Amino acid sequence: MERKAAVASLAVIAAYFALAGFIHIAEAFDWQIGPTLWRQQAGESYSPPGADNIFGTDIFGQSVLRKTLYGAKISITVALLASLISIAIGVPLGAIGGYFRGFVDEIIVWIYSTLSSVPYILLILAFAVVLRDRSIFGHKLTGITAVYLAIGLTSWVGICRLIRGEVIKHKNREYILAAISYGCSRRRIIFRHLLPNVFHLVIIDFSLRFVSFIHAEVILSFLGLGEANRPSWGAMINDARTELSRGVWWQMAAATAAIFVISLALNIFGDALRDSFDPKLRTRVERGS
Amino acid sequence: MSTYIIRRLLYTIPIVFGVLLLTFALFNVVGGDISFEIAGGTTTQQTIDEIRQEYGLDKPLFLSWDSQFVNHFKNALTFNFGRARDREPVIDKIKRGIGPSLAITAPMFLGVVLISVSLSLVIAFVRGTMWDMLAVVVCVTGMSVPYLSFILFGQYFLAYKWGLFPVFFSPDLSMARNVALPVLIGIAAGLGGNVRFYRTVMLDEMRSDYVRTAFAKGLSPQRVLFKHVLKNAMTPIITRVVLAIPFLFLGSLLLERFFGIPGLGYLMVEAIGSRDYPVISAMTYMSAILFVVFNLITDICYLLVDPRVRLE
Amino acid sequence: MSDNGALLSVKDLSVHFFTSEGIVRAVQGVGFSIKRGQTFALVGESGCGKSTTAISIMRLLPKPQGKIVGGQIIFEGQNLLSLSERRMRRIRGNRIAMIFQEQTTSLNPVYTIGNQIAEAIKLHQKTGGKEAWAAAVETLQKAGIPDPAWRAWQYPYELSGGMQQRAMIAMAVSCRPALLIADEPTTALDVTIQAQILELLDEIQKQIEMSILLITHNLAIVAERAERVAVMYASRIVEIADAKRIFAEPLHPYTRGLVESLPRMGFPGKRLHTIPGAVPAQLHLTTGCKFHPRCSIGGRDKRCQTTEPELKEIKPGRWVACWYAPEYKTS
Repeated sequence: MERKAAVASLAVIAAYFALAGFIHIAEAFDWQIGPTLWRQQAGESYSPPGADNIFGTDIFGQSVLRKTLYGAKISITVALLASLISIAIGVPLGAIGGYFRGFVDEIIVWIYSTLSSVPYILLILAFAVVLRDRSIFGHKLTGITAVYLAIGLTSWVGICRLIRGEVIKHKNREYILAAISYGCSRRRIIFRHLLPNVFHLVIIDFSLRFVSFIHAEVILSFLGLGEANRPSWGAMINDARTELSRGVWWQMAAATAAIFVISLALNIFGDALRDSFDPKLRTRVERGS
Repeated sequence: MSTYIIRRLLYTIPIVFGVLLLTFALFNVVGGDISFEIAGGTTTQQTIDEIRQEYGLDKPLFLSWDSQFVNHFKNALTFNFGRARDREPVIDKIKRGIGPSLAITAPMFLGVVLISVSLSLVIAFVRGTMWDMLAVVVCVTGMSVPYLSFILFGQYFLAYKWGLFPVFFSPDLSMARNVALPVLIGIAAGLGGNVRFYRTVMLDEMRSDYVRTAFAKGLSPQRVLFKHVLKNAMTPIITRVVLAIPFLFLGSLLLERFFGIPGLGYLMVEAIGSRDYPVISAMTYMSAILFVVFNLITDICYLLVDPRVRLE
Repeated sequence: MSDNGALLSVKDLSVHFFTSEGIVRAVQGVGFSIKRGQTFALVGESGCGKSTTAISIMRLLPKPQGKIVGGQIIFEGQNLLSLSERRMRRIRGNRIAMIFQEQTTSLNPVYTIGNQIAEAIKLHQKTGGKEAWAAAVETLQKAGIPDPAWRAWQYPYELSGGMQQRAMIAMAVSCRPALLIADEPTTALDVTIQAQILELLDEIQKQIEMSILLITHNLAIVAERAERVAVMYASRIVEIADAKRIFAEPLHPYTRGLVESLPRMGFPGKRLHTIPGAVPAQLHLTTGCKFHPRCSIGGRDKRCQTTEPELKEIKPGRWVACWYAPEYKTS
């Protein structure tokens, strides 16, 4: 039963990713199809879900279905880029700090302790506000870039701590001592010996953190810090604030459903991943035969 | 034991230093000179210069005794946060917002902790049964629903449609009526993840050898759970409780925004919208201080709960 | 088997574990009896089911995987398997007590040892706090812990391994149980401490006329301390006899292998005897006698390969399960 749930979740996750990828390609090649046509008027303003528009339309008459699908591109892309950034920062720092200890380690611990003393959302908001409208090397930062930079630059602490802890634990294990004794360079030890043994944690952390990245993106979009001219789930929920009192519930429902489904899938899959790597962490008790 | 506390206290200094460095880097270095934005649309160079001077932005960034860098530190340590975009002293805004924010976050915090720990004990009691699995399903579902949706649903159904609670903050109503629904929603949103976590903690502890010994002595499951398991579980519980603090900030941000409650969260959201750097910077700093203090308190709690900590 | 005079009588006990990979038949058709004040050793290699048997007597199998699927456990005239959980709790720690192998992790780290011992006393003897504490201190003293009044206020991590085990023993015997189940009580201790602990158990046994069910894989201990021995292999009992007899004249090939593997003084340079092969994994058991793949006698015997020999009493007090044991066929 658990297997089936995990496989189904993986399918859902793959579907979302495929959708996001498809929209990227479609936009690059300027295909006019489905979600890329979100701007098009699909019906009367605020028409409820019906035969032509399964999820109804918004204030501009745009198809909520198309907007929802488009929102996937933004959320998945942001979450993916933020994950890559935080892994790219967190893993090396954690490994270096854990392996070399001493002054370098103290500095790294100081940095992430400082970052983690500001509540997560506040930190992301602070970064996002400041990064918005700035320019790096002459390029102006778009809304979405600010968002994933903000999330990525602040979220590496968790994975860093994790890796650092594991490296410290593994550092004194026999297989590392053996590698040192036959003359392995330090770089080789870290990358060829240590990291592969702790990498499964990165994968588990990644799958569980992805959910929080999606939620962070939604909140940022909701607060108006995201991409201004594109539909996103957060913006849709923001619209819903005033729409609900008018009885217009479908935008809110669509966005919520979309977020809920991917979050659920990621949670289930992340759990299944964790259970398969370490049976002692099993959260379910086995049933009898 | 006192060395432990003193050591922890001393460690907060570099952290506070770090936070101030961070806010400086973000808001003064990367954020840059915002006097133009503060002045508004069309304005004269004179106005801009006046504003510059007032905010101290005309001073050099680092290399003097009177640099922005030094002033930043001096000001923060004396809680002088300057003025916000609308010229009101930031510190006044903060003082005004604390009350309402606490009115929401304090009950939410207590509610989430007490309810989730109790629930997890009950679930540990019925481990392996249908109820246990149902609980896990409910928790994972709750964790997957975005906070925003919780609030929207709650506000829409419980306040707007069924009229059980006021939809918005109103100064005429008592504080209790005003915060009742936000607190309820906040607790509901926070339970899922916490109950799941504590359940895992309890189940892990129940697999320990000393639990086997306790049962072998003839103790009832209630006794084993409440006396033996709970105390051992306190350490991870306390750790997790600390992690719940940032969650409270999120809650206060969103809940206050939705319900129009004039607290610090509302202040923050407005400041984000208007790029009010002084306010955001001050809030970041203050919340970090709070967090650090809270961490210190929980470290002392560890001492009380687990005798092995005294060895360190 | 008859009950006369027996304190504990296990009959045809079977315990299964229901796991996601299949059913593990950890204990099959196990039976033996222990008299009052007797030390009974249950011997076997890791995984043979001896610990599971012990836990089953206390009815402490991990739920829901572990289940007792058959048999009876008669203790002081009652079948423990038919008791309600509530009544079973009154027996645990009170009439039957158990001590475990890992003494460090078996004590609760966040409570003082005095507290933990007094807890059992308070529960079963319904005494007040002060009395229970005083009784706990007294039991600590009987367990050979010096300065017990002070030690009672200490936490488990403040004690050495040997002291922790003494504290566990104190906790177990605080209510003067009729039966003490000791699951590998000395395996995690240094050799010198092992001897002390066994001495202690001996003394206590004499003082309160307590029976001991000693679970171990260490034959040396069995030789010194046990009066009767049962040998287990792959979830079954293969031989039961008085300790002296079993060492002098082991009847089952496995027992013989075990006895001969004991290093003996006075024969320098002689190679140590080993039993070839390994204990079969629980899920992949063979047909016929479970030991036959490793047996020098029955290895190629058709009957040993196909039919499992029953445990039969070939002489009063002498049980064995082997086709080739002397007098086996005639009984």
